[in-house]
Amino acid sequence: MTVKIQEPEQSESKYAETARAFRQNVKKDLANAELRENFHGAMNYLMAKRAASFPSDDELETLRNQCKLIKQRALLKLPYLLEKLESNLQANGIHVHWAETITDANEIIAQVITSKNGKHIVKGKSMVSEETALNDYLHARDMEILESDMGEYIVQLAHEHPSHIIMPAIHQNKKQVADLFDKHIDGFDYTTDVDALIGEGRRILRDKFCHADVGITGVNFAVAETGTLCLVENEGNGQMSSAVPNVHIALTGIEKVVELLEDVPPLLSLLTRSATGQAITTYFNMITKPRQSDEKDGPEEVHLVLLDNGRSQAFADEELRQTLQCIRCGACMNHCPVYTRIGGHAYGTVYPGPIGKIISPHMLGLEATKDLPTASSLCGACGEVCPVKIPIPKILQRLRTESVKVHSGSPDELKGAGSNRKPMEATIWKIWSFIHKHQGMYRFSMWVATRLRGLLPSKLGVWTQVRSAPQLAPKTLHERIQARQPRG
Amino acid sequence: MVMDIFERSQAARTSILNKLKQQVEGADYSKLPAEKGFCYPQLPVADMLENFVEHLQANHAQVISVSAENVYQVAINQLRERGIEKLLCGKGSVLAEPLQATLDSAPEQTLKLSIYDSHLADCKQEMFYDMPASISSSRWLIAETGTLVLWPSASEPRTLSLIPPVHIVVAYASTLHANFATLIHNNQWQAQMPTNVLLISGPSKTADIQQTLAFGAHGPKELIVLLVNDLI
Ligand code: SF4
Repeated sequence: MTVKIQEPEQSESKYAETARAFRQNVKKDLANAELRENFHGAMNYLMAKRAASFPSDDELETLRNQCKLIKQRALLKLPYLLEKLESNLQANGIHVHWAETITDANEIIAQVITSKNGKHIVKGKSMVSEETALNDYLHARDMEILESDMGEYIVQLAHEHPSHIIMPAIHQNKKQVADLFDKHIDGFDYTTDVDALIGEGRRILRDKFCHADVGITGVNFAVAETGTLCLVENEGNGQMSSAVPNVHIALTGIEKVVELLEDVPPLLSLLTRSATGQAITTYFNMITKPRQSDEKDGPEEVHLVLLDNGRSQAFADEELRQTLQCIRCGACMNHCPVYTRIGGHAYGTVYPGPIGKIISPHMLGLEATKDLPTASSLCGACGEVCPVKIPIPKILQRLRTESVKVHSGSPDELKGAGSNRKPMEATIWKIWSFIHKHQGMYRFSMWVATRLRGLLPSKLGVWTQVRSAPQLAPKTLHERIQARQPRG
Repeated sequence: MVMDIFERSQAARTSILNKLKQQVEGADYSKLPAEKGFCYPQLPVADMLENFVEHLQANHAQVISVSAENVYQVAINQLRERGIEKLLCGKGSVLAEPLQATLDSAPEQTLKLSIYDSHLADCKQEMFYDMPASISSSRWLIAETGTLVLWPSASEPRTLSLIPPVHIVVAYASTLHANFATLIHNNQWQAQMPTNVLLISGPSKTADIQQTLAFGAHGPKELIVLLVNDLI
């Protein structure tokens, strides 16, 4: 008999460690030409698809404004909408659970599965379950959990995590997928033909769907008004996971709730168009009840797990609250010059790209993620394409400030605030600001600086590795203007 | 005292809601800015129908215009062309009787109508491995996106449209709506949400491997829409 040693519960997400290694990750991934090629191709494709799906700027802007306001209204009413969602779901026969931490969410799911004697679990795409590292948790409890979204399935086979929130296996090309199948699937007839590869995935996963006891999915919109869980997908695996097994567990963040059923159509339209340029996905699945007594399929039990994991921290600040407007379309990463170059894994977080930079600090703390907000040229592309108009560049700047401010220890402070503060840097800025506020001081210091320009070293650390050192002018602008003879 | 996880869930509920309420308690909703949706141009029904068909076809569905009388024969012919000999239909579906009658009227047909009359749990093996095609009806259609709205019920379970590799849908032009928003609004879905509603806009597909589109990822590989123009 084998005794399974239970690993100690991690109090910290495994992603905190990988996020801390951001700089090393970037170095490694930038040097990987194949990876850069894969991302480059994919991002160009997704940007073109999105652009083609919005022929009218007027429509796009009206929809963006509308959807921003829908989400802001939902957030302003968030606690009440969550209560309403819960009572409506319960009235419909759906169980509702709440979790503040990722470990609690995992534990709830494990308990539900155990209570139904579940062993074989299929999972539709759910980024929140990546956040909680649910697969690791259930594996450690001897449960088989299989990803069923094709991209997620590939990523799971490769023991990786998604590099993009919409297209999880975007970092792999078909040759790499074929090699992976060859290594892991018995009797795989080697081919790089995409139809054949998908066919192989279909064959294996159908068997799993047929025999699974429990299905797990995410949620795209949870409608408070009717107690309805909406799932957006193209493959049908979300439906397979939510309709075939006897138990369906949906896992989502508390910010996914919307007030009204009529809020859904504009959000759906912007979501699919921003994500993949589709007018609508193949399937849009609205689940309101478990199987009723006269019905022949669908799960007998449906559970919803609502996860906080740092979201309430973002909620507590009006500017940062906008982060929670996100509908996870991925457009910000598709248009991000940094993401396109370093790829999704370098961030080390579950959510990569611009949205990852602004949401991860709430999930992992600013200490683990302090490099992320700085990895941006603030070009503004993310804010321009975001369907719910999250001012991502502004929030990045705000997080930069939070990470270098004096750690006050107040309970309202962001987790890890001040962790990027360097005494030397802080002192320099203090002096700089003092000088700029005092005219005489400013004149004098500029006079000294220009006179001592010869002392400026020609090597300035990383700056001069790829650039020549800046040169100070011999005289300040003030001096030169004063020296000019007034005309006429 | 150690709390069990479901008690902890209650504690988490209180804590989360308190934290959120602390921020927004007493907020004045009347100050919320007015939300303005986009005014889509109203199209004549014929144009809407054309859009509906175009979108579905662009998403690789096969759309066949049929008359109300020959729906069933066309369905049977489509399956014969594919060499399919078994068709699944819901028990009590409006399609079941006329299909059977059409089959009975031509004894040389080899197609067998299979009725979905047991629990999925009791017929999973057959559903997954021995059910080549299914047929179901749609309740509404959406022009803007080329979408079929299925309203699954005891007589037409949702897995009808999911598990068999070929799925035939019977659609009536008179059920067409301009877009999803007007469909929900005009029919007040809020008051009548069933167990499950499905919007289907093509056969199952994926572009997860190198952005290359492949059909039949997990659901049907083929979607055949028999469109009855009952407007004229
Ligand atoms: S931040 Fe905006 S663009 Fe980025 S994933 Fe969220 S909704 Fe999409």
